[in-house]
Amino acid sequence: MAVEAKGMMRAMAGEAERAEYGDFARCVHCGLCLNHCPTYRLWGREADSPRGRIRQMFLVDSGEMAMDSTFVTHIDRCLDCRACETACPSGVEYGKLVELARGRIEKEYRRKGMARLGRDLFYRRLLPYPKRMAALGGLMRLVQQSGLQKMARSAGLLKLMRVDKRADLLPEIDRKFFSTETTRTFPARSARRARVAFFAGCVARMTFSALSEATIRVLRANGCEVVVPEGQWCCGALEVHAGYRDVAREMARRNFDVFLADEAGFDAIVTNAAGCGSTMKEYGLLFATDPEEHKRAKRFEGMLKDVTEFLDELGLTAPMRHVQMRATYQDSCHLLHGQKVREAPRRLIRAVEGVELVEMELSDQCCGSAGVYNVTQTETAMALLKRKMECVNATAAQTILTANPGCLLQLRAGAELAGKGQEVLHVVELLDRAIGPERP
Amino acid sequence: MLTKEEELRLYEYDGSVETGRPDCVVFPGNKSEVAEIARLVNRYAVPMVGRGAGTGLSGGALAREGGVQVVFSRMNRILAVDYENQRAVVEPGVVNLELSRAVARAGLQYAPDPSSQKSCTIGGNVSENAGGPHTLRYGVTTNHILGLEVVMPDGETYRIGGAAVDAPGYDLVGLFVGSEGTLGLVVEITAKLTRLPESVKTLLAVFETTDDATETVAALTARGITPAACEMMDGWTIRVVESWIHAGLPTDAGAILLIEVDGPKEAAEEQAEAVVETCRAHKAREVRTAKDEREREALWKARKNAFGAVGRVAPDCYVQDGVIPRTRLPETLRRIAEIGKRHGFEVGNIFHAGDGNLHPMLCFDHREPGTFERAMAAASEIIALCVEMGGSITGEHGVGMEKDRLMPLLFSEADLELMKRVRGALNPAGLLNPGKLFPASKSCGEIRAPAMGRGPNELGEGVRGVTQR
Amino acid sequence: MNGSAEKLAQALAAIAGEANTSGDPHEIGKYAIHGVTPKALVRPANAEEIAEILRMCAAEKLGVVTRGAGTKIGMGGSPERYDVALVTTRLEQVHGYDPGDLTLSVEAGAHMADVSKLLGEHGQFLPLSVPYQKRATIGGTVASGVDSPLRQGYGSARDFLLGAEFVTGDGTRAKSGGRVVKNVAGYDLHKLFIGSLGTLGVLTKINFKTFPVAEADGGFLASFREETGAIDFVRRIAQSAVAPATLEILSPAMAALLGGQTDLGGMGMDSEGWRAASAGWAVIAGFGGSKKVLRRFETDLGGMASESGAAQAISLDGGTNRSVAERLREAIPLLLDASPATTVVRASVLPSRMGEIFAASRRSGEKHGIRVAIVARGVGIVYTAFLPETSEEKIFERLAAAASEVVTAAEAAQGFGWIPWCPDGLKRRALIWGSGRPDAALMRKLKLVFDPQAILSPGRFFGGI
Ligand SMILES: Cc1cc2nc3c(=O)[nH]c(=O)nc-3n(C[C@H](O)[C@H](O)[C@H](O)COP(=O)(O)OP(=O)(O)OC[C@H]3O[C@@H](n4cnc5c(N)ncnc54)[C@H](O)[C@@H]3O)c2cc1C
Ligand code: SF4
Ligand code: SF4
Repeated sequence: MAVEAKGMMRAMAGEAERAEYGDFARCVHCGLCLNHCPTYRLWGREADSPRGRIRQMFLVDSGEMAMDSTFVTHIDRCLDCRACETACPSGVEYGKLVELARGRIEKEYRRKGMARLGRDLFYRRLLPYPKRMAALGGLMRLVQQSGLQKMARSAGLLKLMRVDKRADLLPEIDRKFFSTETTRTFPARSARRARVAFFAGCVARMTFSALSEATIRVLRANGCEVVVPEGQWCCGALEVHAGYRDVAREMARRNFDVFLADEAGFDAIVTNAAGCGSTMKEYGLLFATDPEEHKRAKRFEGMLKDVTEFLDELGLTAPMRHVQMRATYQDSCHLLHGQKVREAPRRLIRAVEGVELVEMELSDQCCGSAGVYNVTQTETAMALLKRKMECVNATAAQTILTANPGCLLQLRAGAELAGKGQEVLHVVELLDRAIGPERP
Repeated sequence: MLTKEEELRLYEYDGSVETGRPDCVVFPGNKSEVAEIARLVNRYAVPMVGRGAGTGLSGGALAREGGVQVVFSRMNRILAVDYENQRAVVEPGVVNLELSRAVARAGLQYAPDPSSQKSCTIGGNVSENAGGPHTLRYGVTTNHILGLEVVMPDGETYRIGGAAVDAPGYDLVGLFVGSEGTLGLVVEITAKLTRLPESVKTLLAVFETTDDATETVAALTARGITPAACEMMDGWTIRVVESWIHAGLPTDAGAILLIEVDGPKEAAEEQAEAVVETCRAHKAREVRTAKDEREREALWKARKNAFGAVGRVAPDCYVQDGVIPRTRLPETLRRIAEIGKRHGFEVGNIFHAGDGNLHPMLCFDHREPGTFERAMAAASEIIALCVEMGGSITGEHGVGMEKDRLMPLLFSEADLELMKRVRGALNPAGLLNPGKLFPASKSCGEIRAPAMGRGPNELGEGVRGVTQR
Repeated sequence: MNGSAEKLAQALAAIAGEANTSGDPHEIGKYAIHGVTPKALVRPANAEEIAEILRMCAAEKLGVVTRGAGTKIGMGGSPERYDVALVTTRLEQVHGYDPGDLTLSVEAGAHMADVSKLLGEHGQFLPLSVPYQKRATIGGTVASGVDSPLRQGYGSARDFLLGAEFVTGDGTRAKSGGRVVKNVAGYDLHKLFIGSLGTLGVLTKINFKTFPVAEADGGFLASFREETGAIDFVRRIAQSAVAPATLEILSPAMAALLGGQTDLGGMGMDSEGWRAASAGWAVIAGFGGSKKVLRRFETDLGGMASESGAAQAISLDGGTNRSVAERLREAIPLLLDASPATTVVRASVLPSRMGEIFAASRRSGEKHGIRVAIVARGVGIVYTAFLPETSEEKIFERLAAAASEVVTAAEAAQGFGWIPWCPDGLKRRALIWGSGRPDAALMRKLKLVFDPQAILSPGRFFGGI
C-alpha cells in the first residue's frame, strides 16, 4: 500500500516512475547473468553487465550516484534483450528496471542538442502515428529506390536518426503497406477453430506487409478467422525501451479500446513481432499506479499471443508440403527472454517435413538488432552481428529462421555482410511456404 | 584502468555478502601486463587482488584492504586445445562453460561444473578449487589441473607443473589450486579434458521423509554405487521451488534425490537399476527416470535454480556450506532442523548429498529486530556441528572473508601458523589478497556478521543472501 | 661407537625408550643409504615422540632420514647429513575407517598389505597398487610418490589423499585437509608431501578416499610387432568409451622378463602362453565392472586392437588378470633385480609423445651397448630401465650418459624426466632430477618454511633440497 501511495505521489508530482527497493534487492549480485549479456561478453566490464547496470541504477535511484553521462552511456548501451532475465535465478525483472531507468533518463537527463531533438522527433512525433510512419516510409522508400541514399545521408535525414553509418540496416520498405485504416476480416480457410485479432505493428506494418500477409494466410489455413481491427495503434515497445513511458501509455490505452471492445469477441490477439508482443504482455507495468487501466492491461496481456506460441498451442492442421532445407533458428530475444517462448517455434519448424533444423551455438544471444539499437549503437550492434554470423556459418545452414521482424532485418544484413548469403525467414514464412499458395 | 568512484563501486561486491572497495581496477590483456602490474604494485607496496567473474561466495575477490584489483575478464582466450591428449591451455578469464562448450563437439568436456559455471572463470575455479554436482564422480578442480603459469607478488613469473603429469619436485600445482588467490596470480592454466560419457541417466527418487532420503544416500555410498551426481532437496524446498519453477516436483514429498549415473551404456543402465533398487529398499515412494534430454534438463533446471527460487520467499536467505561424512547425514540433518527450530527458523536443505556437502538455508527478514543475529547464531552452530561430525567448514565456497574466523574450529594454532608461513614464503609482503583465509585475531568461532548499518552490500538488504549452488 | 653417537642414542632413548632406539653399528648398518650410515636409529611410537625427536635434532642440526620399511629408500640423492634414521613402523594404527563414507584414516607406518586386507574385508581398496606391496608402508608410499598401474583409472595419490597430519622439521605437529571427501578449508599442504622424500616433515597420519571393488574384473592383452601399433591402440582406447583401470605398454624385453620370471599357470596361461601372447610390444588393459560391461569392453578392445594391427589379442579372465596385474605392480623390483646396476629413468610426457621416449631409450641402449626394458602407462609415463650386465665402475660412464639422454629426450618432448633408481655411484653423475627448472626456487622457499634447519633428508630431493 505504502508502495503504491509513493508511486502515486510521484506520478502526481510529475516525477518519473521508479523501481522499488525490493526490485533491486532481489539482485544478490551472484553474477550468473554476466556471460549471458552480449555487452559484457564484448567488453568484460561490470558497468556494461546486468549486475553492474542494476547496481548503477540502484545507486542513482538512491541518490548515491549522479545521473551523469557515464551512467546514461552504460544504460544506453543495454540492448534490453533481457537475456539476463532468463539467466537470473533470483527472478530479477531486469527489463522493468531498465525501462524505468530510461524513463527517468528521458525525464531528468538532458541529452546533447541534436540527439535529443532527433529522439524526441522520432519517439514523440513520428513513431506513435501510423500515418506519419507511413509517410516516412514512403519517403524512405523513395530514398532507397532512387539511389538518393547518399544524398539523404548528407542531407542529414538519416543522420538525425543516426543511421548514416549503416544504411544497410535500414528496412527495405515493402511496396504495399499493410493497411489498418479499415477493419478487415479474413475468414478461416477450413472449419473455424478460433477468432483472432491480428496486431499489425507499426514499423512492421510498413516494412513487412508481405510477412503480415503470410501470417494471416497461415492462420487462416489453420482454421482461424482473422480480424485486423482498424484504429489499432503501435504497441509502444520502442517508446518503453527508450524511456518515453507517457507516450507508450497513451498508445496502450488506444489499443485496449480497439482490441478489448465488448463486441469484438476475440479468442486471442496475435502478433508476429516478438518485440511488440513482449511489451504488450507487460502492459500492466505501465499502469502500476492506475488500478482501472491496470485491470484492462492484465486482460489484454492474457489474450496476447505470439503467432508461434498461438499456432503451437492451437496445433497445426493445414496440410503442408515437403520443403527441402537445412535451417538454423535464432531465438528472438523478446520471444525467448521477454516471453520465455523457446520450444514453440522449434516445434513448428520441425513440423515441416524436409526441414533439417541445426541448432547454432549461442542462439539465445542477441543478434544486435534490439529494436533500434542497431541504429543507435551501430558499432556494438555490428560487433554482435559478426559474432552471431560466425555461429550461423558454422552450422552450414542455408536458411536462418527467426521470429521477429527486427531480427529478420539484422540477420539479412548479417547474411550479406558477414555471412554466406543465407536466406532469412520468419518462422511463419516457412509455414506459409509449406502450406503453399492459396487455392481459390 | 578504472579509478573513478562510481566505477570502483561496481567492483566492491562479488557473489557473497561481503564488500571491499578497490582503489583502482585494471584489466590486463596478457601475462606480461600482469607481471608488470605486480612489479608496480610491489614497488608502491599497495595491496593487490585478482578477480575473475566475481561469483565467489566468500568474498575472495574483494579488495578487503583496498589497493589494486586485477580483473581477468579480458584474458579470456582458449589458447590451445590438444584433442588427442585431452588437454586445454587457457587464460584465466575463460568462462568455465565456454571451455566445455568449445570442446563438446570433439566429445570432450572440462569436468568440474560449479553451478555458477555459466559465468565463473577457470582462474576463479582454480583459486577456489571449485566443485559442482558432478564432483562426486569426476572430482574437483584440483583433479583436473596439470599446470599453471603464475605471477608471484613480486612480479616474477613461474611455470609450475606442465602438460604432462607428475612434474618432479613438490606438487606446487596442488598447493596453488584452492589457495584463494593468496599465493600468486594465475595467468595461464593447463587443464585436463574428460570424455563425455557415452550414456547418461537421470533419476528422481521421491521419499516421504528426509530420513529415508538421507539413509538412501548413505546406503548408496556404502553399496559402492558412485553416481555421477546425487543431489537432495527437502520437502520445504521442493514446495518453494515448485511454486516458481513448475518442473513437476511432488509437492507433498518429504524429500527428493536427484541422481545421475553415467558411463558406457551397459554400466549406466546397470547402475540406474541398482540405484532404483536401493531407493526402493529405503522406502522411496516413487522413482522416475528422465525419458529424454528435455526431461533431464527440466530436473536439473529445478535443481540449479532452486536457490534463486527460495530467495523469492523471504527477503533474506543465508546459505551455508559445510561438509560431513556421509554416514552422518541422517543424524546431522535432524540436528540442523533442531538448531533451526531453537532459533525460530525453518531450515531448507538442498545440497550435494553424494559428497556430504551441505547447504542449509536460513530464510528470514532482517527488518524484524533480532532475526539477523539469530540467523547468524544458527549458522555458526550448524558449522560447528559439521566440524563436530568430523567434517569441514567449507566444501566449495572457500574461506575468504566470510569464514576466516571459523578456521580455528578446524585447525590448531600451529596448523594455521604453518599455513601463514607458507603464504609468507611466497607472498612475503602480504600484499596479495590480504585479510583473507586466516583470522585476524584470536578465534571467536563466529561467522563474520557484517555491520548492519553500512550493509554488507548497499545493493541488497542486510545480509540478503548468498545464493545458489 | 664413538661418544657423540652414544650420546645421541641415549637422548633418543630418553624419548622413545631403550627398546626402540639403537646405536649398534651392526643394526644401524642396515639403514645405510648409498653407503652413508646413520649414527642412531629410533622407532618412535607416536607423533608426540616424533615431534620431540625432531625438536632435538633441529636444535643440534642433526640430519634425519625418515623411513618406513625402507623399500624405496634408495630413490633420490644421497643424504648430505644422516645422523638419525627415524623409522615409522610403530605408527600403524587405523584410526578411522568409515566404510560407509568410503574414507580411511591411518597412521603412516601402517603396512600397505594390512590396510589392503582390512579394506578388502569391506569390499573396498586403495588404488595404490604400488611395488613392494607386501612390505611397504603407507607413509613411504605417499612420500616416495611412486605411482601404480591403477592411476589410469583412479589417478595418483594426489587425487584421493584427503588430508594428513605431520611433524615439520622444527618439531611442530600440524595438519591440513581433513577426513571428508570434499573440503576447501586452508592450503592443501598434504599434497606437498607426495613424492617429497621426507624433506618437509614426517607424515604421521594420512586420510584417504577409498573405492569399492568392482563386481568382476577382466583384462585384455594385445601384442604388436611395432611400438607404433601399441601406441595407436592406447590412443584409440583413450578416445573410446572403454574405461580401463590399468593400461600398460611393455617393450619386448619387458614382456619377456615378466613372462620368464613367472608362471601364470593354473590361471589360463602358462609362461609359454604368455610368451606367445606377449611377443613384441604388448599392451595390457585391466578393467572392472559387471559381466556385461566386461564383455562390452572386450569386444570394443578386440575391434580396436585389430584396427591398430595387433599381431595377437586375447582376453584375460579375472584370475589371470589379477595375477598379471600383480606382476605388473612389481615391475620395478623385477627390473631392479634384473641387473646388478639397474638404472631406471622415469619420463612423463603427453601420451602422444611416448613414442619419442621409446625411440630415445632404444637409441641410447644401442649406442651405449646396454640392454633396455620399458614399461609405460597409458597416461604418459614411461619407465625406461637400463640393465647392464655388470656393475663395474667402467659401465657407469655409459650408463649415466644413456640415462641422461632419455631424461633430456623427455624434457625435449615438453615433459619431465628423472632417475629414481640407479646405482649409488651414478647419483652424482647422471641428471637424476633432470636438468632443473626455475620453479625449484619456489620449492626451496617452501622447504625453509617446513624445515628451517634443513635437517630432513638434506640433499635427497629435487633442486638439491
Ligand atoms: C549461484 C552460484 C553458484 C555457485 N556454485 C558453486 C558450486 O557449485 N561449486 C563451487 O565450488 N562454487 C560455487 N560458487 C562459487 C563461485 O562461483 C566459485 O568459487 C568460482 O570458482 C568463482 O569464480 P570467479 O571467476 O567468479 O572468481 P572470483 O569470485 O572473481 O574470485 C574467486 C577467487 O579467485 C581469485 N582469483 C580469480 N582469478 C584469479 C587469478 N587469475 N589468479 C589468482 N587468483 C584469482 C580471487 O582473488 C578470489 O580469491 C557459486 C557461486 C554462485 C554465485
Ligand atoms: S541480476 Fe540476477 S543473475 Fe544477475 S547478479 Fe543479480 S541476481 Fe544474479
Ligand atoms: S538486457 Fe541484454 S544487454 Fe541489457 S543487461 Fe540484460 S543481457 Fe545485457
